[in-house]
Amino acid sequence: MNFDLLFKKAEEKGLESVQIYLEETKQLDLEVFKGDLEKHQMADARELTIQGIYKGKMGKMKTEVINLDDVDQWVDELIKSASLIESQDEVFIYEGSASYKELKGLMQQELEDLDITKKMELVYDLEKKLKARDERVDISEAFYSQSRKRVLLQNSKGLKLEKDVNNAALGAHVVARENDDSRSAFDFAQSNVISDFDLDEIANNTVDKAVSQLGSKSIKSGSYEIVLQNSASASLLAAYMSMFSAESVQKGMSKLIDKVGDKIASDLVTIVDDPFRPKSPKSGSFDDEGVSTMYKEMVSDGKLTGYMHNLKTAKKANTESTGNGFRGGIAPTNFYIKEGTLAYDDAVKNMNKGLIITDLQGTHSGTNPISGDFSLQASGYLVEEGKIVQPVALITVAGNYLSLLQDVTDICDDLKFGLSFIGSPSLKIKSLVVSGE
Amino acid sequence: MLEKQLIERLINTALESTADFAEVFIEDKMQSAIMMQSNTVEQAINNKTYGIGIRVAKGYQSVYGYTNSKNFDDVLKLTKDLAKSFEGKRVRETIELGELQTGKAHQIKRMPDSVDMKEKVAIVKRANVAARAYNDEIKQVSISYMDYVQNVWIASSEAIYVQDERVRTRLGIHAVASDGKDMQSGFNGPGAHYGFEFYETFSVEEAAKEAAKTAITMLHADECPSGVMPVVIDNGFGGVIFHEACGHSLEATSVAKNASVFSGKKGEQIANPIVNAIDDGTIENAWGSANFDDEGRSQQRRVLIKDGVLNSYMIDHINGKRMKETSTGSGRRQSYRFAPTSRMSNTYIDNGDSTFDDIISSTEYGLYARKMGGGSVNPSTGDFNFAVMEGYMIRDGKIAEPVKGATLIGSGKDALKRIDMVGNNLLRAQGMCGSLSGSIPTDVGQPTVRVSSMTVGGRKGAN
Repeated sequence: MNFDLLFKKAEEKGLESVQIYLEETKQLDLEVFKGDLEKHQMADARELTIQGIYKGKMGKMKTEVINLDDVDQWVDELIKSASLIESQDEVFIYEGSASYKELKGLMQQELEDLDITKKMELVYDLEKKLKARDERVDISEAFYSQSRKRVLLQNSKGLKLEKDVNNAALGAHVVARENDDSRSAFDFAQSNVISDFDLDEIANNTVDKAVSQLGSKSIKSGSYEIVLQNSASASLLAAYMSMFSAESVQKGMSKLIDKVGDKIASDLVTIVDDPFRPKSPKSGSFDDEGVSTMYKEMVSDGKLTGYMHNLKTAKKANTESTGNGFRGGIAPTNFYIKEGTLAYDDAVKNMNKGLIITDLQGTHSGTNPISGDFSLQASGYLVEEGKIVQPVALITVAGNYLSLLQDVTDICDDLKFGLSFIGSPSLKIKSLVVSGE
Repeated sequence: MLEKQLIERLINTALESTADFAEVFIEDKMQSAIMMQSNTVEQAINNKTYGIGIRVAKGYQSVYGYTNSKNFDDVLKLTKDLAKSFEGKRVRETIELGELQTGKAHQIKRMPDSVDMKEKVAIVKRANVAARAYNDEIKQVSISYMDYVQNVWIASSEAIYVQDERVRTRLGIHAVASDGKDMQSGFNGPGAHYGFEFYETFSVEEAAKEAAKTAITMLHADECPSGVMPVVIDNGFGGVIFHEACGHSLEATSVAKNASVFSGKKGEQIANPIVNAIDDGTIENAWGSANFDDEGRSQQRRVLIKDGVLNSYMIDHINGKRMKETSTGSGRRQSYRFAPTSRMSNTYIDNGDSTFDDIISSTEYGLYARKMGGGSVNPSTGDFNFAVMEGYMIRDGKIAEPVKGATLIGSGKDALKRIDMVGNNLLRAQGMCGSLSGSIPTDVGQPTVRVSSMTVGGRKGAN
């Protein structure tokens, strides 16, 4: 699609510069429930976002009807949108970075070409393995989800960047039942290379997790030493990543304000934003503003090194964009706590009396991203003298995320990413307040 | 959008297979949003959505596809690709669509596209000024204005051919209070199936003050103690407890798969007999109302629980087949990008006999949750959790000091049985509900309700 006509019309009507962001997505979803193909979905969609600077203000519009006959109407809409903006912040359409890192393998044609029946077999096979693993598995679901995203970013300043990534997720959800108790579990793997998927590993992890939670009980309220399992830790980090956004900081909505250079976490903690991680659809050499991306440690050995910036916040702070300008705001790419050296089993073994947290529920409502406070429903296992003695559910754990980072006493070697590519290894934490019985 | 013959052609193409069901969902939506922060309008954006979703099913196996191509051949190809899942001899006769049905239950006086954006900006500014004026400690206010007109055309092999226009308007007010050390926030988000006339139905200033009040109260609140105690949940958004703890478990999505704690419990006593619960998609101009559901069936009033007895589930077409029951008009979806499934509309616990004062004065010690935050539930276990946005301790039958950071956890089936007082002050409030078929507008609601014992999680530790 040629957007030169748009750039020309925009200039005629007095816009200083214009940028388009065209995203094309292809999606395939398969889900097998108790042996039947329950969901089979295919999709093909495009979305166009146009931004334009008019009298120093940024106008913006989005449309899924992409027809170049509408160019005049688009320009009028940009002007209308810009005219309502009162913000005095300087706005930008970027002419481009000096260089962009060349990334290979983000798009694997083999994944696109593989016949759908092979993908279906994968899901059927995984679902069979779930039932075979343990007879207490009552409900078994396996899913495969594949997406390809193509991006074109082009502006009237001559910048033209393209990106093409694909990714697949294969996962399972089970409910195990025994007597009157039922427990559920979910696990998955992601890659854009089919041979990376280990069906047995996914099946065993999911089933073992659900089954081992059967007979869960609450525990006595009090303060417990904690092993926070990798995926639970990642879900908590996801709820607090906005703390590291310069936008939150500049609006006074982050407790990390004025903390650059300070020790905000245990020496053991390093938090990374890595746009170059292989086999991740979040990876890329440029952000949505066309700025070249970079690997950076946000927290390095416990010290806060800086914030994630886009063009606007960088200008305000008199610094450079870190290439985190996504979706009109600021977002990380592949964001994670760096792994340590402790084996997970040893983390449990050397705990005298404590709690392993496998799951945290309600992270969208029970966390306060401004203060860092949280109070969340949790489940896991009670540990005594290095051994799991009882599965635990219906408790809440409460604390503050920044205190938790300070209280990290050891880090495991089991880094795992969530579906949105925020990751963490399992963490050992001095203590958290648990309310139960 | 597409002519009737073309829609018929898509349905009949899909049925050139062993499929027994085919559906076309066309959506054309225009949404406006205005965002204000730090006293200035930071963003004003129009977002046009258009696409077609095709669903083909045999029994309760279904395939779904969508595209936003305006080229009919692309849509036809998608339909053929979907039908390939059910290759074989045709089982349904050729479908002919009847007259296009429309509904008029929710009249709109001022369509959003007929209102100048400047008028909308004026509403945003009024809310901003009012929230800031409430108290000096309000340091940050963000206002989000949203309205949309969603036009849908739904046709299926079940003699359905309808068009519906959903007009929705919502104002989100988010206030942050700070004393230099701590920060706390409050939110209020009134919305309805109205156009711009919505702003004649309530006071923008009062709505803004409400958000500011929560933030200020919580700024000066002590940490909530933890433990098991009676909890009084106030009317309005307090209904999110029922929505999360019970509503989701009454959706056919989990019931049909035997994955809900309420599967097979119809006719059984699942709640205290003083509990009556309703899901009503017909309430005039309510946030979660529409003329038709997203499978083209007329919206209904569903009595979910009558005198504590499970009376009805919320059922969509395909899950209905699995359950051998008919749809209750509960098939909903966020957009053409989602296949529909059974969802809530406006869901509430109905009025009981107690007054608010009765409930508080008969509670010696407990938590009064005046405003609830969001929450979530695991439908297979019924375990739920949600945050209390504004809470107070109850001591000696009186509302005492405010407390922050409280979380309520429990299981839906226990909580329903433990509701031991139901007030007479039913109020509904607006929310967005996320599930398999996307994020949809729903009302939650209830009168003030008391749960005799509940686990409260807080950071103060046990009392």
